[in-house]
Amino acid sequence: MATLSINSLGKVYPGGVTAVSDVNVDIADGEFIVLVGPSGCGKSTILRMIAGLEGITSGDLQIDDRRVNDLEPGERDIAMVFQNYALYPHMSVRGNMEYGLKNEGLPKAQIAERIAEAARTLRLEEFLDRKPANLSGGQRQRVAMGRAIVRDPKVFLFDEPLSNLDAKLRTQLRAELKALHKRLGATFVYVTHDQVEAMSLADRIIIMSNGKVEQIGTPMDLYLRPASRFVADFIGSPSMNVLDGTVSSDRRSLQLNGSHQIDFGAELPAAAGNQIAIGIRPEHLHQNTAGETRIELSVGFIEQLGADTVVHGTLAGSQSPLAVRLNGVQARDSGDSIALSCGRDQIHLFDGTTGQRLNWDNQ
Amino acid sequence: MQKRVVFRSRLLPYLLVLPQIAITLIFFFWPAYQALESSFFIEDAFGFSRQWVAMQNYVELFEDPSYLRSFKTTLIFGVSVAVMAMSISLGLAVAANRVVKAATGYRTMLIWPYAVAPALAGVIWYFLMNPSLGIVAYWLKNVGVDWNHYLNGDQALLLVIVAAAWKQVSYNFLFFLAGLQSIPKSLIEAAAIDRAGPVRRFWTIVFPLLTPTTFFLLVVNLVYAFFDTFALVHATTEGGPVDATSILVFRVYNTGFIGQDYGSSAAQSVILMGLVIMMTFVQFRFVERKVQY
Repeated sequence: MATLSINSLGKVYPGGVTAVSDVNVDIADGEFIVLVGPSGCGKSTILRMIAGLEGITSGDLQIDDRRVNDLEPGERDIAMVFQNYALYPHMSVRGNMEYGLKNEGLPKAQIAERIAEAARTLRLEEFLDRKPANLSGGQRQRVAMGRAIVRDPKVFLFDEPLSNLDAKLRTQLRAELKALHKRLGATFVYVTHDQVEAMSLADRIIIMSNGKVEQIGTPMDLYLRPASRFVADFIGSPSMNVLDGTVSSDRRSLQLNGSHQIDFGAELPAAAGNQIAIGIRPEHLHQNTAGETRIELSVGFIEQLGADTVVHGTLAGSQSPLAVRLNGVQARDSGDSIALSCGRDQIHLFDGTTGQRLNWDNQ
Repeated sequence: MQKRVVFRSRLLPYLLVLPQIAITLIFFFWPAYQALESSFFIEDAFGFSRQWVAMQNYVELFEDPSYLRSFKTTLIFGVSVAVMAMSISLGLAVAANRVVKAATGYRTMLIWPYAVAPALAGVIWYFLMNPSLGIVAYWLKNVGVDWNHYLNGDQALLLVIVAAAWKQVSYNFLFFLAGLQSIPKSLIEAAAIDRAGPVRRFWTIVFPLLTPTTFFLLVVNLVYAFFDTFALVHATTEGGPVDATSILVFRVYNTGFIGQDYGSSAAQSVILMGLVIMMTFVQFRFVERKVQY
């Protein structure tokens, strides 16, 4: 159990490629932090820097107020679960879990006690004498977690630990992981590219793109108040609809592609004639005209998911993609047109060039 | 999954394996049979007559203390060559595996000695160690070692061991490097996080995972040392001084072509053949079945 503080952390590879730049975050004791972003955004590099597997080019990394930049991975009192589990293939499950404890020089009785407890927690008792090759994917995953738990480290690091499992097992292990975090009360840092995993597990999410932090916040912060167009697009499934438009001369409405004009009833935080974008989540559009903002969707194809139906298409009279999530089973033909509306308070605004969030009166 | 091919004609499959069988019969079984047959005869030096003596050639061999000494010499030679060649090449492979810049360059250079013919390898070391001209012998003299493999049997044996091992290092290096590169990096990282230092990581993770490679190389190196080093010994010490480097395979040649005792030479080849069969058995039994971990 520990706090983790990251100050202007940066990583530049010898070839001159910048993998991570200027990351700042303070992680509280017992917090579940998820680093999320597309491949190559630098999230794994940050995790590996915390673990000590990658050198730190600039900035400071502190665990419990102790600077650990120059400590070996073994000296940082962390444990890590790898994507491919990295179980030692020549050792039994017990051997795998013992290895770190033996290296610490713990007395035998204490090692046995810790392993018995971890095996009970993770339901691995009957597999203790098996080799990893004779275990299923989910069991290997649990052994990897067991190897981390017995160490009783200050910080747990997870590098996409569920991505090699099938969807059903992933959901199950996600729940187990959450329960485990609650029981251990330890600090977790978790890397994933899956936004659903991030949303369901995290106390706070760090979302990254191109080596930079886009936003740090609770899952609901990210969902309700995305700090940039990138975050808006990444969080939520299907993605938020983002439509480009031009600010009208009285700065109270936006001219979208096609014939749509969105009236805001208040002054927009941008100069007349500027390009800005509005974002509306597919689940916030409704098939009625009750909301202040009305748009029309031209249907392309539909996805029927049972509980709801996602209709993909374009903003009528334009090529801008638009999607809506409708309740229940609904049938629509390609080319149909649907009138939609949403409340003004559910519209997000983003700067046309920087993609940064623009705040306005209605929110 | 059924992978067996079914031929419509009965003749075709036999025709397809015929060349392989013919080569094996003509070049392996026939000479082997000839050796086996000759080992039961005493033949005169010019091959005009021979006399059936049953097991006499074998009996004489095992009553000859110098032949029994050869067994011991061969064992010392084989084990030393294997251990020396394998440990040096493992060290080099570990080092080369860590190199990032110009890695291929280093590797290519480390592989070169394998292209040197055994006889040449022997001669190179022979020159280096020559008591009157050799640079290594000169260095040794400077540190107080009186090197003379013409007179000192132990030194002569050490010379052929070093030369034979040097030649084999490249081959072992290639296999060890491939073995090292097939170990997932995350295992090493996991061990580093599990508080194992570099040395402990090597002996508890890397080395056990190299077991299949090590075992395979052990058999290959022993076979090399026992049977492929004739040219090296012939080009350097010629078995001397006083039989000190007379390993079994060299003795076969010496008895047959120098001593012109074909019967005894054939008997020695048969014994060697028995050794090869034994080692092949070991290899099939343990190596081919993959060392389990």
